[in-house]
Amino acid sequence: MDFTFSPEHQALRRMIREFAETEIAPVAAELDREHKVPRDIMRKLGEIGLLGVCFPQEYGGMGAGETGYCILMEELGRVCANTAVNVGAHIGIGAMCIHLDGTPEQKRKYLTPLARGEKIAAFGLTESNAGSDAANVRTRAVREGDSWILDGGKVFITNGGYADIITVLAVTDPALGARGGITAFIVETDSPGFKVAREEDKMGIRGSSTAELVFEELRVPHENVLGKVGEGFVTFMKSLDMGRLTLGAACLGGAQKVLEQAVYWAKTRVQFGEALAHKQAVQWMIANMATEIEALRSLVYRVAWLVDTGQPFTQLAAMCKLYGSEVLSRAVDMAIQIHGGLGITRDFPLERAFRDARINEIFEGTNEVQRIVIASNIFREFGVRIRP
Amino acid sequence: MRIIVILGRVLDPRGIVVNPRAGRIFVNREEYILQPADRCALEAALQIKEAVGAEVVALPRAFLPDDDVLRQALATGADRAVYIAGKPSALPDDGVMARVLLAAIERLGGADLILTGATTLDAGQGQLGPRLAEALGWPQIVGAWTAEVADGSVRAVRQDGGGYVWVEAPLPAVVTFVPGALKPRYPDGRRLINIYKGVGEIAAALERWEAKDLVTPEALAPMLERRGQEFPPERERGVRLTGSLEEIARSAADALRARLPR
Repeated sequence: MDFTFSPEHQALRRMIREFAETEIAPVAAELDREHKVPRDIMRKLGEIGLLGVCFPQEYGGMGAGETGYCILMEELGRVCANTAVNVGAHIGIGAMCIHLDGTPEQKRKYLTPLARGEKIAAFGLTESNAGSDAANVRTRAVREGDSWILDGGKVFITNGGYADIITVLAVTDPALGARGGITAFIVETDSPGFKVAREEDKMGIRGSSTAELVFEELRVPHENVLGKVGEGFVTFMKSLDMGRLTLGAACLGGAQKVLEQAVYWAKTRVQFGEALAHKQAVQWMIANMATEIEALRSLVYRVAWLVDTGQPFTQLAAMCKLYGSEVLSRAVDMAIQIHGGLGITRDFPLERAFRDARINEIFEGTNEVQRIVIASNIFREFGVRIRP
Repeated sequence: MRIIVILGRVLDPRGIVVNPRAGRIFVNREEYILQPADRCALEAALQIKEAVGAEVVALPRAFLPDDDVLRQALATGADRAVYIAGKPSALPDDGVMARVLLAAIERLGGADLILTGATTLDAGQGQLGPRLAEALGWPQIVGAWTAEVADGSVRAVRQDGGGYVWVEAPLPAVVTFVPGALKPRYPDGRRLINIYKGVGEIAAALERWEAKDLVTPEALAPMLERRGQEFPPERERGVRLTGSLEEIARSAADALRARLPR
């Protein structure tokens, strides 16, 4: 058993941390305040290869594996939740489907520009009646010669407002449902019939695009079917497994950052004649935060190792997402408590961290769905099949 | 054209705390970064390479325990790097390193331009460039902000008193850069992974030479000896000015005037 990062992953982390602190951290507050999507940062990340971190080099990627991708997300989560969300939707789910189930031709055509950051991806699963109940999608795809005609729409699509390529889940055979009746498609957003209907105005992650999309007689060539016809649901669930792990990694970075901020403040702020660091109440909060963060770190990188060595990880990825989002929320909450009233002012980054943290317990499968995934895996080992 | 870039490393200042009262430096996180001035030299070399075409070869400015800085140089765009293995000395010794580097440059088949930092962040070394220029009999430009190559000469901007001057020297020459002179580019992620994994063409670009094969044992004898260390005295605190806006402005102006050189 060896818990050390390889030299290439250490070098990768140094490079990402420098980029994050130089290029992203100075604008993080502005992205939130001005409701700005970090397109410029995405372009720069692409130029130095980071948007292809986990994809193979033959398709423009870096080949740093899932461990490399978790390092990227941890370091981004440290400085800017918005950039982490943009990158997570792009690599972790949008492009991931093409990486997992695309044909060599699809990978050449779509994954390569995505890995280089020349194009931006999104992941089109959620609909107004199909969120946690993902199999309930209603967007319809009908075969017409060499193409498919898509009608319907998606909601809450991260990167939806500016993505160039969206992987979309649509019903191809209503009689079969999730078992053989749902297909994944690669949709180019400049196709006629594709429309961004609206952008959500959100409490947190305000520097990200969350869009409602409408498809009206949107023609998709048959070669853009991702995986086999009828098996799109499986492709999407596999991508979500990967996304959940890296969401946990981004939470890890965010939690580590607020811990450092809390420690710094506890060291500086004097009450009753001594620094808060000398108060047991504050020491215990710091100790609790640090312990949870360390447990999360072990979990995240162990699951990354499982992915990189080709072992099953679905249940553990759900745990990463569930535990990571809760550790982050608790850490931000405690850090604000240590900062007192100043913690909720816009002069401190914790107010933003608090608003940005909340969504992690919801998107990429709510924490309730994660518990269902975990419980059903555990019960299955004992021969009990539970349904959501 | 061959450009030699000489690079060193320094403890990341974000990971250390200097405690002058205890007379100690506490290392919380032992991580190293490229010397900032050396990194500017690397950036200048890559810019010249892009402008007029050149082979960029990275060499270390000290005997380092690992070759991370050279790998970073290769990932950032250098064509070739040579790790020179030797006994790391407790004290950076530009005199010894200049001898070793001269031999290394000779073994490489010479160079047209040598670029390095004008100073190091930790020990404040600035002798390496001038020593090499002196030994080679080449012109040197110390403390450059920019450098470009055209028509067989190198043209650089350096600070001179309160302003900046253009200086020009025929090649071959030595140019040293001040930290912050240029905004250095980031390494390319793919090259970085490949150079560490040892795959692809880039893996063959990193060589390893032994210092003892380059120079005699006498030449490796340290020229400097560390006798002790002392921290600079604490700086005087500033003065808080009070009164009306006009009075404050007047006292500030008087104070500044008093400091002007006569």
